[in-house]
Order: sequence, then structure tokens, then C-alpha cells
Amino acid sequence: MATAPALDKPPAAATGTTAVHRRKGVLSHWRLYAAISPFYLLFLCFGLIPVGFSLYLSFHRWDGLGAMEWAGLAQFRYLLTDTDFWSSIGNTLIIWALATFPMILLAMVTAVMLNSAVRFKNVYRFAYFLPNVTSIVAVAIVFGSVFSTNFGLMNALLQAVGLDQVAWLNTPWGIKVAIATLMTWQWTGYNAIIFLAGLQTIPSDLYEAARIDGAGPVQTFLRVTLPLLRPTLLFVLVVSTVTGLQSFAEPQVLLQTTANESTFSGGPDHAGRTMVLYFFQQTFDNNDFGYGAAVAWGIFLVVVLFSIINWRLVQRRGED
Amino acid sequence: MRLSRRGLLRAGLAGTAATALGGLAAGCAVPAGSTGRNMVLWYWSGGLSDTVVKEATARYGKDVRLKAQQIGGYYRSKLITTLAGRAHIPDIAGLKGEDMASYLPNADQFVDLRTLGAERLKSRYLDWKWQQGVADDGSLVGFPIDVGPVVHYYQPAVFDKAGLPHEPADVSRELDTWEKFFAAGEQLRRRVRGAFLLTDVGSVFEMSLGQGTTRFVDRDRHFIGDGEHVRACWDRAVEAKRRGLVSDIVSGTPDWNSAAERGLLPSQLNASWAAGDLKLGLPKTKGRWRVADCPGGPSNVGGSFLAITKACREPERAFEIITWMLDADNQAQGFVDAGLFPSTPASYGMRRLREPDPFFGGQITMDVYGPAAEKIPVAYNSPYDIALGQPVRDEIKNVGVLGKDPDQAWRDAMGKCRRIADHLGVSY
Repeated sequence: MATAPALDKPPAAATGTTAVHRRKGVLSHWRLYAAISPFYLLFLCFGLIPVGFSLYLSFHRWDGLGAMEWAGLAQFRYLLTDTDFWSSIGNTLIIWALATFPMILLAMVTAVMLNSAVRFKNVYRFAYFLPNVTSIVAVAIVFGSVFSTNFGLMNALLQAVGLDQVAWLNTPWGIKVAIATLMTWQWTGYNAIIFLAGLQTIPSDLYEAARIDGAGPVQTFLRVTLPLLRPTLLFVLVVSTVTGLQSFAEPQVLLQTTANESTFSGGPDHAGRTMVLYFFQQTFDNNDFGYGAAVAWGIFLVVVLFSIINWRLVQRRGED
Repeated sequence: MRLSRRGLLRAGLAGTAATALGGLAAGCAVPAGSTGRNMVLWYWSGGLSDTVVKEATARYGKDVRLKAQQIGGYYRSKLITTLAGRAHIPDIAGLKGEDMASYLPNADQFVDLRTLGAERLKSRYLDWKWQQGVADDGSLVGFPIDVGPVVHYYQPAVFDKAGLPHEPADVSRELDTWEKFFAAGEQLRRRVRGAFLLTDVGSVFEMSLGQGTTRFVDRDRHFIGDGEHVRACWDRAVEAKRRGLVSDIVSGTPDWNSAAERGLLPSQLNASWAAGDLKLGLPKTKGRWRVADCPGGPSNVGGSFLAITKACREPERAFEIITWMLDADNQAQGFVDAGLFPSTPASYGMRRLREPDPFFGGQITMDVYGPAAEKIPVAYNSPYDIALGQPVRDEIKNVGVLGKDPDQAWRDAMGKCRRIADHLGVSY
């Protein structure tokens, strides 16, 4: 960061006084801190302490009720060699990629259209937001019908254009596509609204300048809109990564059958078994709370890794 | 009144202080169990008869205030969280049958019902069910609510068309073994276009396993899932697939409903409570189903228990309440209200349960359910059974749905079982 401009760095003298002021400020503003403390207290109780406990748990064997038994690193050692866990990471990433890239494209197109819509703007915004606040369980049940083999809407469409039926929920790829479609449907509208907010922060004189310079709509989009939307894109990408990597209810409900079997198994060949689904199976089907906690931390590391990758990708593009 | 910033801050501060103080005070005084005259009962929607719960509340109202609470969501995890947290533990708790094996190693959380005189009631309940509530140390943790005898639901019109026996007594007699059942399936497929005997291979594997007395892990914490008894169930399921008796439909989907309605899936092996699902899911098929014995013999799926927790202040009273709620009379009521099949054989002869059922063409279904329930074998359910049965169940599904090579699937399942056994400290 040696080449970083020194503009935002305040003069040395000013730094000293600010520091003193700041130190005094913490004490003199105790009322303000007290006033915002409910969030932090609740976060401590229901966020930080459980997170700490799950770390503690991952070094033990526990059936949820009896005595805990120290396991050292055994749970993590097993995690590293657990092919089921690795395959669940693969499933999650494939489903995430199948869902996120079409979703971002659709959301951006939707946002640009919403931005230029003149009438009923709020009606559109409401309509696009609706899928995101609909209960995922209800959505998954509807999608279960949409993707059913003989009477599903999807196969009806395929047959209408002369293609063969696909047993969506009975083939490994069909399952992944079905889950990804559900997630795309659910998140496109939400992200379109985020993009719309981003679009509206772009000053209109930039567009005017582009027009005067003779740029067409495509060029304007690629040279003006897209670069200025980069922070929004980063946000959308990070949020989609975090939610996509934690997908759970979608495969669980979509692949639920009335057969007497575990709802966490993820369908044939475990094609829909995401990381979080695997975590649930280990924890609540097998009552292996220690290993469940280790799986949860494995998931955490994967999410962190992908957040960093996302951030670096978008960041680097900004530099060149 | 104008709200000043200072005023708002003060209000916020006061609120925080009150919350913190309240939390602190509550934290110090959280009772382990119920308080006052309360006797708290936890169960889930449909887990007990509403009529019986209401009557029990009134009946014991002069002694205790019976607070029956339906706990929604993932019941077991809520119960063990509460037990582990040692706060607000219910006095009486419902335990689901499939979770029973995981509660039993923690029998010390519950009152041994033998100490309250449960033994003298033993003869009134199905013995195999009673045994399921007994922990390794011999203490009785769970008191029987209902059972789920597995029977053969079928559509007589379709069976008739296929030239198969179609009267319940004939079906029970002539399709009494898996071999005859499969042969009937081949005939069905030949004579009725597009019809399949089985929805998936899972039911064959599951019901076959339930007909035996051994499962995946024995009492000595030894993995026995590679034994002949599991392999035989596996081979039977593979055979059903090989002989083309299995549909490619997923149960519970609109496809399944439609196929069943059109008579293309005219047969289903399932527990007594599945009758409720049929009635609810396929109301149009009223009168078109009958009940017969399951091929290969009786087995059980589901059924639950009531237990008294250690936090209960009046175990004798609680025991009085649960034994009343689960006597033969009230269990009969449970069947009428909620389809809970009684664990008390004395109920089977009651007139209420011998009503002809119009959904089953006026058949007295108890004639099939009752004898099946009494002949279910006693099997040991290890707390590790679920974890070590899962790979086998997953792989038989891969064989059934994806057509995976059965030998490869079995090897994969066994390889995975050994790894899991090793991880869980189960010998093999």
C-alpha cells in the first residue's frame, strides 16, 4: 500500500488530538453505548456464546444428553477423511454455481428494466421481492410439483417443445438443477432490488456524457453501469455465496418423500446433500453432536474461503 | 409530549437495565421443572388423543393443573435441549419411537417406571412394545402409547383385473410370502399395463428388516449389519428391482397420487397410520382399498411412548395420569381420534374399533391390524442403528433408482459402515 495516496491521512497534529478526544469520548458517551447495548447483549447470548460452545463441542463426543467425552482432534481428523463431507461440499458448490450466475444475470437485467420503467414502479418492486419473503417450505413443495416426472410443469414444457421427460427428482443432475432453479427464482427479485438501489446511485450526468460521446446502450451498460455497480455486485456476490453455501431447507423439503426414511439424505446418490444438510444428518439423525459441530466449523471455513475469493475477484478487477 | 433525544436515551437505558436485571433475576431463579400446581406434559400434534388429554385435565384438575403442550418443529431436539439445560423440564414427556434408542442410554434423565409399580400393568400391553421402552440396565423409561403394525394396502379391483386374489382373506393367505408376493407382481405387470407392485425398493428392504429380530448393531456395540440377516433383506430388495416390480415414481409426489388414483400403484406395504395418509391424500379412492397381511410376516414402523422426567415433583401422580391416559379404553379413543393404533390388545375387541371402515369398502380393518400387532418380533434397537443403517439404506436406493450395480453398492455400503463404526467406537 506504499503507493496509496496520502490524501485521506490527516496531519500528524490532528491525529493526536483526535485520539485524546476519542478516548475521552468512549467514557463520556457511555449512555449512548448503553443505549445500543441490547443488540450486543442479545448477540452475546444468542450469537457469540453458542458459536464458542460449538467450537468447544467439536473437540468432544456428545450424544446431546449424556456426559461429554474429550475427543481432542479426532472429530476434525475424521472430517478431513470423510468422503461424504467432501462430496457435500462439491454438491453445494455445483448447486451454488448453477443458481448464482443465472440469478445475477437475471437480477441485473431486471434491475435495468425496473430502473427505466416509468409506471407501476413500486408494484414491480413489490412483486419481485415477494418470492424472497415466501416461506421456503411452501416454495419447495410447489417446486416439487413443478419438477415431478409425469405431471410436472417442467416436463410439460419440455414435451411441448418436443423433448423427452426428465426424472428431475430421481437423477443426480436433475436434483441439482431443480434445487438451483428454486434458489434462482427465490433470489432474483431480491437482488434485482439491490442492483436497482445501486443503479440509482449512478449520477445521471455520466450517462449524459456517455450519450454525447456517442455510446450505445450496450456500451453504456458495459462501460458506465457495470464498473459503477461493482460494489453492489460484490455485495450481491458475497450475500449469495453465504446463503448459497448454507442452503438446507431447499433440498430437504424438495427431496422429502413419504417413504420412511431420513429427510437429510439428499435423494439418490446424495445428489442434493449440501453441507448444511450433512451437518443436520450427523447431528440430529445420528445424535453425533461433537462431529456435527466439527462439520459446522468445516462449513464455516469453506464459507470464509469463498468470501475471500469473491472479494479478491471483484477487488482485482477494480484495480486494472 | 415531545420526545427529546435525552428522553429517548434515558428510556433506552432504563429498558436495557430492566432487561438485564430481569434476565439476571430469571437466570438465578430458573426452576428445573414445573412450578406451582402445574404438571407439564409435552407431546406433538397428533401424538395423543385431544379428547383424552382434555378429559385427563378435567379428571385430575382438583390435584394438579395438567398443562398439555404441543411442541412444534423438531420435537426431539427441543426436548433434549431442555433436558440438557436443566430448566423448565416438562414433568411428562412424549418420546417418539424412532428416537427411543437414543434416549435409552440416558435412562438416568427419566424416572424408572418400575419403581412406581409399572410391572403390574405389563401384561395389559404388547410385550414387544414394552421391551422397546426398557433400557440396558433394566429400568423402564417409556410407557407405551401406540404401535404401527405393517400391513398390505391394496386395490381389489386392480388385483381382480390382474387375475390375482382380491378378497382380504385370500390376499393374506395366498400372498403370504415374499416369493408369492413378487410372483403376483409379475402377473400384475403382465396383465395391467403400466402397473407396478412396488413404488420403490426401500419398503421391501425396510419391512423385511423389521420382520427379523436383529438389525445393524448388537447389545455389545458390535456392527452386525454385514450379517446374513441384512444381506437377505438386501437381496430381496434387489430381486424386486431385477424382476421389474418397482416403479420409478417418488412416493408423496403428485405423480404418486395420480398413479395410485389410476390404479397403477395398487399396492402399498405400510404401517397402520398410513391409512390416515391414504384417506387424506387420495380422498377420491374411498372404497377402493382393502387391508391384508404383509407378506413375510408382521413388522412395526413408528409408535411412541410417554416418560416421566427426573424433574417431576410428583412422579406418583404423573404415573397415575399417564396410566389412565394410556389404558385400553383411552387408547381406543386415541385410535378413533388420531389413528394411534393401541398397544393394549384389550382395545382390539372393543366395538368402537370394530366399526366397518367405508374407505376400505366396509372392511373391519381391526381383523388385520390386531393380529399383526400381537405377532411383531422383539428386536434390539441400538443407539448407533440409525448412523450405521443409513449407508445401506442409501445404497439400496441407488440400486433401486439409479440402477447401480448391486454388488458394487453393497461393497460401498459396507466400506462406509466400517468407517462410521470406527468413528463411533462400534466394533466390527
